[in-house]
Amino acid sequence: MTQDVEMKEQLPPSNSLSSSSTPSTLQHLKEIASLIETGAHAREVRRIVRAVRLTMALRRKLKASLLSAFLNSVLTPGSDAHARLVLYLPKEDEHDMEVDTASSITQAPVKHSLPEIEIFCYLLVLIFLIDKKKYSEAKACSSACIARLKIINRRTVDVLAARLYFYYSLCYELTGDLAEIRGNLLALHRIATLRHDELGQETLLNLLLRNYLHYNLYDQAEKLRSKAPRFEAHSNQQAIISLHYGTNCILLQFCRYLLYLGKIRTIQLEYTDAKESLLQAARKAPVAALGFRVQCNKWAIIVRLLLGEIPERTVFMQKGMEKALRPYFELTNAVRIGDLELFRSVAEKFSSTFSADRTNNLIVRLRHNVIRTGLRNISISYSRISLADVAKKLRLDSPNPVADAESIVSKAIRDGAIDATVDHANGWMVSKETGDIYSTNEPQMAFNSRIAFCLNMHNEAVRALRFPPNSHKEKESAEKRRERQQQEQELAKHIAEEDDDEF
Amino acid sequence: MLTGFRSLPPLFEETPNSVHELTLARDIFEHAVLLSVKIEDQDAFERDFFQLKPYYTDARNRLPESPNEYMILGLNLLRLLVQNRIAEFHTELELLTSTALENPCIKHAVELEQSFMEGAYNRVLSAKQNVPNETYGYFMDLLAKTVRDEIAGCSEKAYDYLSINDARQMLLFTSDQELLEYSKEEHPEWEVKDGSVFFQKAKDSAPCKEIPSLQLINQTLSYARELERIV
Repeated sequence: MTQDVEMKEQLPPSNSLSSSSTPSTLQHLKEIASLIETGAHAREVRRIVRAVRLTMALRRKLKASLLSAFLNSVLTPGSDAHARLVLYLPKEDEHDMEVDTASSITQAPVKHSLPEIEIFCYLLVLIFLIDKKKYSEAKACSSACIARLKIINRRTVDVLAARLYFYYSLCYELTGDLAEIRGNLLALHRIATLRHDELGQETLLNLLLRNYLHYNLYDQAEKLRSKAPRFEAHSNQQAIISLHYGTNCILLQFCRYLLYLGKIRTIQLEYTDAKESLLQAARKAPVAALGFRVQCNKWAIIVRLLLGEIPERTVFMQKGMEKALRPYFELTNAVRIGDLELFRSVAEKFSSTFSADRTNNLIVRLRHNVIRTGLRNISISYSRISLADVAKKLRLDSPNPVADAESIVSKAIRDGAIDATVDHANGWMVSKETGDIYSTNEPQMAFNSRIAFCLNMHNEAVRALRFPPNSHKEKESAEKRRERQQQEQELAKHIAEEDDDEF
Repeated sequence: MLTGFRSLPPLFEETPNSVHELTLARDIFEHAVLLSVKIEDQDAFERDFFQLKPYYTDARNRLPESPNEYMILGLNLLRLLVQNRIAEFHTELELLTSTALENPCIKHAVELEQSFMEGAYNRVLSAKQNVPNETYGYFMDLLAKTVRDEIAGCSEKAYDYLSINDARQMLLFTSDQELLEYSKEEHPEWEVKDGSVFFQKAKDSAPCKEIPSLQLINQTLSYARELERIV
């Protein structure tokens, strides 16, 4: 059915519309291909990055006919790659295709095909297949391409390869067979490391982490992460450089890495580190990546709750996120009040959301924080309260609430959550007077940590300042040229004067 | 013997009787795990469990489910709890499906962890009475010891003093003598007099009023240095 509709849409205006829109897209693609070609010859990775970015803009306009026309024009018809790629394209509009083929062959006599171009064609076809939801073809296409990539060892292919790895993993994820390619990804990561292909390494590391986390294999993920070579400080700087260049693929990879890292650390109860990386991921992510930022925020909220912090209201009111964060908002509210009953009802009410976000187990951990907060409220408001009342206020439902309350209170005291003592004989809890915090070293410590943060930020910013590698040189050469011209003029004058002197 | 089977991890070759071989190997490792519990060897338990794990995860699709699976997973959770490896405990927990979490053996361990974190220690101890399987007994005994140490640690912070009678009950000793020995061995700073245990000494001495001058000087100097670098 859909094919028919597409046919109808395409065929009637084929003379008027397709002649205006299709060729222009085709023209664009050809321009991109030539960009890649020059980039490959000059060994300038920057050009290829730009080519990839331009391609992404054309993504919506890709059509089967267009692609086959493009393939015919840039690849040698009858070559291995061409024959393979054409197979993946659906033959829905034979007629259109033939016309295009004929025209393009006459237009551009095919040159020798570069590996970059070949890989680029694979990328185009793969994107097209994924967009058209032909996942089994996409899987076959990506696997063929990955096999090809393993043989090609050129720095200029790396950028394209990184994109391909991403789509390779994506189409397997969409069909739910991520486990299948894990071994392959590991092998690719090894190859990338051997070739010093940093972008490929980071992309693959992220894909592997994603792969592991998809199956909740936090243990393996953490082991891989801690063993894999990283360019942490380095990529932080690179992220900033790439911002200058407008290429944010490295930045994106870094954000993803931070999210995965945050998740792993959350599971392993390293909340402070987890919070840091999650917040960083949320901040660094581009504004357009809403889903990604929502995910970061969800995890960050839970981690902060687990740390005993209460996220500000503004966190939940960020643009476009209010709805997604609603369950977490109510959860925060329950923790803030310290009401076990409310907490339980919220957790139940949104249990489907939480299990979809896979945060259910974390929420279970929060129960303990709810009790703590409740206890802290009680300890602040009463100077002395019986343990039976504490149990009632916390709504502990257990056969022996007083004994439970007593041990819970004593653990809270030991962990430093409340400052109190328990009188066992009389069965009450006595809160100590809270001293004046300004008489302690606390304010000074807080001041120190903030200053240290600011100074560190400044230093990092200075260290990350970079200039595009060539502009400096070009400027210099311009000055040199002027100097040279001046010298030449002076020389000429001298010669002229000398000439004059002689005669 | 097992190394001769090509169908076992990590090769997972498809052979005609691979299912049979896998089941056999799994049974052997399950018995090994249970045996290590019986002879109370925690290291052996860990080793055997890791050998068994691939049969539960990677070979899941090839084998019929083992009746002992949840029981052994629960045992492992309990072991991590006893050894106070909470991070690993949660990592293992993430691997379980929601149906697994409903299983009494797993649920038991999860609830124990929660009570343990909250500080509801008597709930941990009462759980000992309703263990889902008799093999759990060994770890529950170990857990009781851990709990006693925890209670002792909490008590010395939370109470000024406790009567010997109360202290004995809280720390789950049957006689005063045991309590005295325990306090002598583990907490020599406890003072026993007038029929009570005093924890006064274990508490931090009054916060010192001195200004941490050296630290302050260092900080101020570092600010000066950094500012100089900026200006």
